[in-house]
Amino acid sequence: MKSFTYTITDPVGIHARPAGLLVKAAKAFAGAEITVSKGDKSAKATQLMKLMGLGVKGGDQITVSVNGGDEEAAAAAMEDFFKNNL
Amino acid sequence: MDYRKCAQEIFRHVGGRENLVSAAHCATRLRLVIADNGKLDMDALEDIDGVKGVFSNAGQLQLILGTGTVNKVYDEFLAVSGMTAATKEEVKAAAAARQPLPKRMVKALGDVFVPILPAIVASGLIMGLLEGLCKAFPTLADSGTYTIFHLFSNAAFVFLPILVAVSAARVFGGNIFLGAVIGMIMIHTDLVNAWSVADYVASGTPIPTADVWFGLFDINLTGYQGHVIPVIIAVWIMCQIEKRLHKVVPEMLDLFITPLVTVCATGYLTLTVFGPVFSTLENWVLEGVQMLITIPFGIGAALMGAIYPLTVVCGVHHMYNVIEAGMLSSVGLNTWMPIASAANFAQGAACLAIALKTRERKTKALALPSAMSAALGITEPAIFGVNLRLVKPLVAGMIGGAAGSVVGSMFHIGATAYGVTGLFGFLTTTDYIVPYAIELAVSFVVAFAVSWFLYKEKAPETASAPVSQAETTPALTCQPGVVYCPIQGKVIPLEEIPDDTFATGVLGEGFGIQPAVGRVVAPFDGEVTTVAESKHAIGLASSDGMELLIHVGINTVEMNGEGFTLHVSEGDQVKAGQLLLDFDLELIAKKGYPTTTAVLVTNSEDLGSVSVHAGDQASLDPILTVKACVSNN
Repeated sequence: MKSFTYTITDPVGIHARPAGLLVKAAKAFAGAEITVSKGDKSAKATQLMKLMGLGVKGGDQITVSVNGGDEEAAAAAMEDFFKNNL
Repeated sequence: MDYRKCAQEIFRHVGGRENLVSAAHCATRLRLVIADNGKLDMDALEDIDGVKGVFSNAGQLQLILGTGTVNKVYDEFLAVSGMTAATKEEVKAAAAARQPLPKRMVKALGDVFVPILPAIVASGLIMGLLEGLCKAFPTLADSGTYTIFHLFSNAAFVFLPILVAVSAARVFGGNIFLGAVIGMIMIHTDLVNAWSVADYVASGTPIPTADVWFGLFDINLTGYQGHVIPVIIAVWIMCQIEKRLHKVVPEMLDLFITPLVTVCATGYLTLTVFGPVFSTLENWVLEGVQMLITIPFGIGAALMGAIYPLTVVCGVHHMYNVIEAGMLSSVGLNTWMPIASAANFAQGAACLAIALKTRERKTKALALPSAMSAALGITEPAIFGVNLRLVKPLVAGMIGGAAGSVVGSMFHIGATAYGVTGLFGFLTTTDYIVPYAIELAVSFVVAFAVSWFLYKEKAPETASAPVSQAETTPALTCQPGVVYCPIQGKVIPLEEIPDDTFATGVLGEGFGIQPAVGRVVAPFDGEVTTVAESKHAIGLASSDGMELLIHVGINTVEMNGEGFTLHVSEGDQVKAGQLLLDFDLELIAKKGYPTTTAVLVTNSEDLGSVSVHAGDQASLDPILTVKACVSNN
């Protein structure tokens, strides 16, 4: 398993649009199970509704973990995604 | 950009012609039905210059190319791939194949017939009116006006096989022009017009014949005017032959050999094999119905009134003139006409019930004129366009036809001419005005009532979840897979939402609304799964497995909840129509955000194709339908 933590810089956090982009980015790694968690709540990165339900805001710290598939590549891509979008 | 290059690259990365089932485009997307998704190179497709996004959805590969570009790339794509034009509906149909055979056959019949209905409705109405007026004012028949309008009235019927053949060739994936040729062969002027066969029989003139299969047997040289089924069968065969030939004939010779062989083989088979088979069947039906109506006590009439529309489907009804002419010459009274009239009128009534009951605009727009045409005695639009496809109204019409026929037989109604049924039938049954009126009324009431009660839009409601808040819930029976309009306003296609993320469908299929009022209600029975902290977006799950996002305005997340008043919270069970959210339209506009609201089925990829009714909508009009919505929750 690969994981990393990230602090959200975008003040509005993971709302509909970035959540959608995240789902799209995560779906590119079909074999990997990517999870986003904030505190004790977590959601699969492919589930739009659950992601939005996390209520991630600017300044929140989230943990992204990748299980199975091409873990290295998926984790790297996720890290890039968050840096560029959130 | 280079449209041709773009098309060529798409063609290369979708696995070539063998992997393509069909192609169509909508306002922004190229929609391809792919045989084997494994042969797609999705990454390469995304990288093609001009392709803005690629999705694979419900058996369809969708490439976003943008307005103005997609049609040019599509044209090039057809040229590059050697495919023929398909409509969006056909692509959907190809994706939705794999239904049981009888259902597919009825669907094919409908698919063939629906596109040509405007032509049939126009002709049907003119014909009904004209024949009726002629009976009322006999001198009209000799006027030039009549001659001219008569041309208009029967052109679509005389040449119906051509219209049917073109439409069928499209549905079955053949060349539509070769299809037209097959249709033309079947009604060639060198053949005896099917409508004139009755006159030939009446006057004892022999019908010309030709020897076929090297003198094996002779065929009657009669045309197929007014026919539907034999034409569809012929064109289906043609398409099979054509497609097979395209595969085996080397490309260099394809243009010489394929059309030549296709036309010769199909034409010869049609005229010499199914033509005779069909006319034999036709004669059997004719003898059968003549025996049928001799059964006493109105039983024969009832049975005939019931099966009459089925004989219209098979195209043998034009032969009934032979029976009617025979009756007139032997006993001077046409007792067949009341049966035909009851049957036709009942089909119209059943169709009218659908027109009044359906909530689907398309069906309504089709059913109303079709019902009118049937009341004047021309039932093809009602039968093929509406009743046969929905099955239940056809049955309702059959029951009504039987009931009306019994009345006709009880009163011994007889007409003094043939060729007119329905309302104008009064003109040929002047001795039986009251009985005839009763007969029509009985047919109408029975057919209308049965149709009204039998027909339900899709399946009845599935067991709904318990309701926590009973107040403010208008009575609405939810259909599975249907999203009702959550906000009163103008519904626009997804692609027109002024935000790329929504418009490209990344978040799922759906539609946009330009709200007229700031009030969101639940679009179906279900559960509130997510509520954005900034209150501008609500996630819902329907009881039949749809996940829906209602996102009010664009970038309104930045308003941080100002101007939004939520009436539900996460985990609430809601009923369709229940108030979810109030928002301040003016404030959103004043702050400079678009008010366009996105309504998206976020798991549409897993559910199947989605269709949307655009236009002005009141709250709770059905807007979006997910076909084959599976209960997987």
